[in-house]
Amino acid sequence: MSKPKLIYSIERQKARWGWIFVAPSLIFFSLFSFYPILTAFYTSLFKKRLLSLKPPDFIALGNYTYLLKSPDFWNSMRATIVFTLGTFIPILVFSLIFAIFISSRKRFQNFLQLAYYSPAVLSSVVAAVIWLLIFDPRGLGNQWLNFILHTPGVDHKWLANSVMVQLSTMLVYFWKYVGYFTIIFIVGLASIPQSIYEAAKIDGGNDWKNFWYITLPLLKPTTILVSIISMLQCLRTFSTQYLFNQGGAPLAPINVITLNIYHTAIRDHQIGRASAMSIILFIIMMLFTWIQFKTSRADEISY
Amino acid sequence: MKKILIIMLFIMLLTLTIQAAADIEITFWTHEDPNRTEIEEKYIAEFEQANPGVTIKRVTSGSGQIQELVLTAFAANQGPDIFNMSIEDEYAYIVNERLSPVDFAACGYPSLQAIYDAYLPGVLDPVTYQGKLYGLPLELTNWCIYINKKIFREVGLDPDKDYPKTWEEMMEISDKIAIREGEILKRRGFDFRYPYYLVSWVPMVEQLGGKLISDDGKEAIINEEAWIKVLDYMKEWGPNGRNLGSPTYTNARKLFNMDNNDIAMCLSGLYQQGRIKADNPEFYESGEWMVAPFPVFENAVQEVPCAYYGHYYMVNRQKPAENQRIAWKFIAYMLSHPEEYLTKVNLIQPTLKLMESETYQSMPYSDVFRDDMAKGHIVYYGANSAKIQSLIKEAIEAVMLTDTPSKDALQNLKRKVQEVLEED
Repeated sequence: MSKPKLIYSIERQKARWGWIFVAPSLIFFSLFSFYPILTAFYTSLFKKRLLSLKPPDFIALGNYTYLLKSPDFWNSMRATIVFTLGTFIPILVFSLIFAIFISSRKRFQNFLQLAYYSPAVLSSVVAAVIWLLIFDPRGLGNQWLNFILHTPGVDHKWLANSVMVQLSTMLVYFWKYVGYFTIIFIVGLASIPQSIYEAAKIDGGNDWKNFWYITLPLLKPTTILVSIISMLQCLRTFSTQYLFNQGGAPLAPINVITLNIYHTAIRDHQIGRASAMSIILFIIMMLFTWIQFKTSRADEISY
Repeated sequence: MKKILIIMLFIMLLTLTIQAAADIEITFWTHEDPNRTEIEEKYIAEFEQANPGVTIKRVTSGSGQIQELVLTAFAANQGPDIFNMSIEDEYAYIVNERLSPVDFAACGYPSLQAIYDAYLPGVLDPVTYQGKLYGLPLELTNWCIYINKKIFREVGLDPDKDYPKTWEEMMEISDKIAIREGEILKRRGFDFRYPYYLVSWVPMVEQLGGKLISDDGKEAIINEEAWIKVLDYMKEWGPNGRNLGSPTYTNARKLFNMDNNDIAMCLSGLYQQGRIKADNPEFYESGEWMVAPFPVFENAVQEVPCAYYGHYYMVNRQKPAENQRIAWKFIAYMLSHPEEYLTKVNLIQPTLKLMESETYQSMPYSDVFRDDMAKGHIVYYGANSAKIQSLIKEAIEAVMLTDTPSKDALQNLKRKVQEVLEED
């Protein structure tokens, strides 16, 4: 009778230590993430001006109904979805390709990893400023493209055309984050046991078949992780669009939700409405994450 | 021994507490201007010496960032004691009752009326709200056209006679001066100051009879025809039209000082002279630049030059009363040197005394600025003027940089500005 009690007590002890280790991050999350989310939801129910000292008016879901009727908000939804799809899919595909390329190299692996990863170290603001200079009509963007395409003197209007400016923001984000996700894929690739490839080789499998039937299925958890993180990052994009708009690019094509939140709060002083928008963005992010988790539940890998 | 030590410790703590209570730190947030920093740091040192126990902490930020910094600080009830911005950005602080009214006694005036009497008529109107005065002007600025004479002569134009008097001439002259490599502009004739549409672009609409807001303040965008004409002008100016300039090029005012054959004309205030002198003294001394009045459209129904705007020093109402008093005293001390601000920073503090002074009259091209200012009006200001300016920016960018027709951009602008008015 005493044996199970001992096990129970050891488990409890382990659990207690678990709680102790987890507590700092839980406190940190509650204080800096969960509390602001609750406050944002509470604020979203009021008509609140950022500078006003008067008590705000309670308008229940008024801010939400306003947003759902607002053409600007729907344009922001469009801009966010276009940017997210146009960025996270290429990031996912190319980071996998780059990871396989780097992993297959016998030399310069470390150098290539460092080279691909380096843009991720830069702050988003610095990256956007660098690219603003590149996209200047007299900048390197036009010079490079005209050299490659043999089209001297053509202005590709990187920031001065509604389609190009969207592509430009995607390009900056892709450049900045593809290296980061490449490293995650490299780690995922390294965790696949070599014995599986060796067995496949004995069975007559070639590189292409190995990729489709071994690498890709066994890499699924990493792929899911990369797709969720990159998608969430794309949904939260802000600084590139903000700085490009400050640099003279038209607002409407790149007015993503985060930029709209910023303008609504800081320029328009409508903190209640901005909070409602951030809650909607939060729900969208939660929904996409849930869908991705749901579709990947049955794909846990064990060797 | 123990007792003596305790008593000494107590006296020391008491002295420190009294000292801390006597010390006042005034935080002063302003935009970057190296020439102004030099003289204001000197004023701070002088003021601190004359007022023992007072420390002034001057913090500068980029002119594009200060609006956000001040706003977020005030939103968190942590605003500075003193700050200054352009009136379009400051007005919301007045109507939201975040400011301390001017303390005329601390400023050294016998009455509030004496302050109004010291300044040009009307310049304190934007900071007067419900009978109280909430700011004192650091500068009152209007913009005219700076011209690089060398570039004019290079293309066969006489800068003294051929400078652009109308917007139509501005387009033709800019086209003549422009150097392109294919579609890419290597040299521009003139380019606008793109983000500041209330100051420099709305007056163009007014020249053709348009108006931003009706006189009763209830209707937005009056005389749509005038607005469409000016939007069409911008469309023609941009990369999809005659390709004379665009908001995506480096701002004209910065390039002008360098005299690098990048741009022939830019729009700026009297303060630009101080900046040319600082950035490129050789060009400043060469006399190869001049200033011309703000152009008007050929078929203008009224002559409206660039609007003038003011930067006003303001004091945070949430600070202790003594801080507010010291803050106004310090502001008045800084503003008691208008001639130094004019000669060293090229900022006009619109006191009657300064405007009539020999120093002002002898400033190069001060007559051009003065004449334009006399014909103009102050920039549109209201609790939501910063938002309205952004909406105008959106409309202009839409016609210049996308395929949006002027009519559609205007309808969109009208709808949004109307919504802003109704929300107020």
